[in-house]
Amino acid sequence: MAFDKYLKMILDRAAHEATADGATTVEAEHLLLAMAEQSETDVGRFLAGLGLGHVALRTALDRESEQALNSVGVSLDAAAQRRKPDSSSLAGQLGNSVRHALERGLDGLHGAPRPGHLLLGVLQAEVGRVPRALALAGIDRAALIGQVRHALLG
Amino acid sequence: MVANMSEATRSDGGPADALAAVVALRRLADQLENTAVEQAMRSGWSWPDVAEALGVTRQAVHKKHAKRLAAAGVALRRR
Repeated sequence: MAFDKYLKMILDRAAHEATADGATTVEAEHLLLAMAEQSETDVGRFLAGLGLGHVALRTALDRESEQALNSVGVSLDAAAQRRKPDSSSLAGQLGNSVRHALERGLDGLHGAPRPGHLLLGVLQAEVGRVPRALALAGIDRAALIGQVRHALLG
Repeated sequence: MVANMSEATRSDGGPADALAAVVALRRLADQLENTAVEQAMRSGWSWPDVAEALGVTRQAVHKKHAKRLAAAGVALRRR
């Protein structure tokens, strides 16, 4: 799939994920969820093959939220806070974590961008919800990045 | 760049947890606001009353919530 078409599809899907999250902006974790949700794509199949399908990632992100809030004495069932998004009022603004992911994944490329570069940009964040959620899920992010390079960009 | 990257994702009550808590609390506040404004409007509150209760302008609360509530089928009073 052409990268621009893939990116548009993921951004559209990520807006639904952000809205379900109650977020006012689309963030990197919503890109990751959207990439996993598109299970018929190479990236979706790759993530599912590693046990990082949409449900697993959502569970990991919920754990991250609950753990972050617990650290300041707030108890929350993150899954219970989600709402069913309606397509007429989706979160539309891109957050800084999305811009950073795009920069990390695409800047300095010599060839044409591919879907794997978007995943790489999201996974290379050293701080934020994505690396925290993956760490809580016991995922070795450095190894995962290596697998992305090998399987999707090799 | 975080000096020690292992600190960036560590969950030990340090700065990583504190910063993540700020983000999670903002998200939780947005979720609570969405629910509370919808409940108020379904109960017949006016935009000015909701705005005053939230401590924002009625233009701000209308801009943020009107489209979503209309899509959800909430009967909205005139501003």
